[in-house]
This record gives sequence, structure tokens and C-alpha cells, in this order.
Amino acid sequence: MELAYYPGCTLYTKAKSFNTSLHKSFEALGVKLNELPHWYCCGTTFGLAHDNRMSLIAPLRILAKAQKEDGRVIVPCSICYNTLKRANYMLKQDTDALEILNEHLEESYDGNEAVVHPLEFFRDNKELIKKHLKKDLKGIKLGCYYGCLLLRPEQEIQFDDPESPTIFEDFVSLIGATPIDFPFKVECCGSYLVVNSPDAAIDASYKVLKNAQANGAEAIITACPLCHYNLDALQKKIKIAHSEFNEIPIFYFSQVLAIALGVKEENLGLEQNKISPVNLLKEYKLL
Amino acid sequence: MNKILEEKDFIRRIEEISNQKVSDCYQCGRCTAGCPFAKFMDAPPNQVIRFIQLGLKDDVLAASAPWFCAACLVCQTRCPRGVDIPRLMEAVRMIHLRAKEGLFDVDKIDKEFLLDAPPLALMSAFSKYTY
Repeated sequence: MELAYYPGCTLYTKAKSFNTSLHKSFEALGVKLNELPHWYCCGTTFGLAHDNRMSLIAPLRILAKAQKEDGRVIVPCSICYNTLKRANYMLKQDTDALEILNEHLEESYDGNEAVVHPLEFFRDNKELIKKHLKKDLKGIKLGCYYGCLLLRPEQEIQFDDPESPTIFEDFVSLIGATPIDFPFKVECCGSYLVVNSPDAAIDASYKVLKNAQANGAEAIITACPLCHYNLDALQKKIKIAHSEFNEIPIFYFSQVLAIALGVKEENLGLEQNKISPVNLLKEYKLL
Repeated sequence: MNKILEEKDFIRRIEEISNQKVSDCYQCGRCTAGCPFAKFMDAPPNQVIRFIQLGLKDDVLAASAPWFCAACLVCQTRCPRGVDIPRLMEAVRMIHLRAKEGLFDVDKIDKEFLLDAPPLALMSAFSKYTY
């Protein structure tokens, strides 16, 4: 099987571990990800101003190009996924926008390219994963952190229930590990506030991490490179503000999947994790 | 322009940019209750909406809430009146940014952070805080 793939800017730079482990996981499943030719930034955040639709042009150009490759495109980054899906929704709801925006696109586009998250693909192909599991993850307790952009706004994203989603937990159970459900799994990590109000991001991330630990998580898995950065890189500063805090490793879901599928250690990108998960993985004989 | 007209004009501008009807809000406070950043704001989200409803332009433009809103959309999900509060916050930001009042100077970002941070954090912050 072959699938069109849109990595987004961060998977090529600070989240290479996400990109590599995802590619290798799909490879292990016998699926080839074909990166879109000539892709560019999706614009990161979805523009919320109703009187200026300029920010929709970037995501729609990507989707118009993707449409020529395949009817669906795999998008792993939460922010890209949210932006592309909301752009699609907007185009379908608003015929004025459809007309205006198509004047700016090189090829006409109607909002019909399906934006698919890897977790949705795995949910719909459970048997394929089961067939390829190589390592036993039994016992390792993974906190399932969704963050914001995979879930909200519900009507436009339609990924899972915005207040009590289960797709991550089902995924963790599927690959043989123990999912940890915790109330803060749908709370914001601080997002881009880390740039100009780091204290607010530190506070938000601390609450998420503490809550996951209080519910028994030994590590946390996420799908968003910005959540990953806040939860992982800010732990050093959290420790200064809260001396009782114990570090906890943060994985991309694809890193854990790659381990389960027997992908070689050098392709897991573990060296990019600021809080090293090596000891935890050795404890469970996964390295 | 007299004061009442000025207030009405401000409300209309916010409604145009956000595509929201501010009178829909009945001040239940659920947005503030769920907001992870309310404690950092000088006036919480529901109070800023009240300022908008009353046309209190100076209070709205002085509020820190729009700069602490991460558009996490918890309030939007929980609002019983279907008000998209992050769109109201974006409208206030837009009024500032279109008047060329950005929140920060890009040159002043810590260099070490700049090298370490993922591009999407920087891109998101630039699109929300700079003009």
C-alpha cells in the first residue's frame, strides 16, 4: 500500500524523531509514505479572523496539490492536521470563501481531499498492526496526552470526543502497553505561549505532567511537536520552580509503535528526547 | 462621534472580525472556569466579553487576556451559548495588530531559546503577536 504524506516543517527540523519513527513504523507495516512534491508550511495556526481569509491560502494550496496525488493524505502533526482540516471545513461551509480562494489557487480545489491522522489509520487497520507486532510492551504505563488541536473544534475536526477521547488509549492497548487515562489529557500544554509568556506554559505543562504521574503514568505519549517540546524541554524549568517534581519521558506515539514493531534502535530518534527514556525502556527490556 | 455611537461602532467592529454575536453571551463564566490561563490575565475571559458587550473600548484594548489566549478552544467547546470566544480574542488582537501594535519585538527573543524551539512554536507566536 502507498499513501500520500505531508510532514510539515517541524518534522523536518526539531521533530526528526517523529518523522523517522513514523516512516519506519509504516515501512514495517508494509506501507510506503510518499511525501508530497513541493510542500510548504501550512501556516501553523488556523486564522480566526473572519474578515481576512489570506491565511487559508497556504493550507488549501497544500490540499489542492495533495488531491492530484491521492484522495487522502496522512498528516501526523497535530497543528498541521488541525489547520488543514479546518481549511477544508471552511471551504465546504462557505461558498463565498470557495469562490474567492479558488481565484488564488493554481488549481481549483473543492475541499474533498481527506486529511487522515496516523492514529485514525491505525484505528481502521488494527489487524495489520497486530500481525506485525514484534516486541512485548506488556506492563509499561503510558499516559495518553491529546492536547488541544487533535480534538477541537469538535464539529470541524471530528477526530474523537473533545472531552473524553479514547483513540490514544485504544492505540496503546493495541500495541500491548497499558494506557493511562488522566483528566488533564485534553488540557492545553501552554502552546506558543512558551515564546512570550514562558511562565504560563511552564504552569500548564507542570499540571499536565503531575496529573499524568498522579494517575500512574511512567511516560507520556503525544502527537504534537509543540506539546512534545513544552512537556519535554520545559521539565528543566519545572524542576526549578517545583523541587518535588520528578522527570518523566515524553514519546511521540510513533516512537512507541516503532519499538513494538521491532524497528532498530537507531531509527527511534531517542537521542532527540531531552528527558531520556533509555532507562525506562531498559527496565522493560525494550532496548 | 458621540459616546454611544462610538461604543456601538466598536461592538460592530469586533462582531465583523470575529463573526460572533457578543450579545449571545449570558455571562455564566464557564469559559473562565475552564481557561488554563485565566489566572495570568488581569481580567478573565468572561469579563473581557462583558467589556465588549458594553462597548468599553479602552478596557478591552487594555486587557491582557488576548495575549494569554492560546486558542486551545476549551471555552469554545464548553460555551452553552455557542460563542467562539477565541475568535473574539483574535478580533481584539487584530484591532491591535492592524494598528501596528505588536506584543513583542522578535529581535528580543532569547537566542538560546530561538535555536532550541520548534519552528511551529515560533511561527504560531509570530502569527498571533506580530504584524
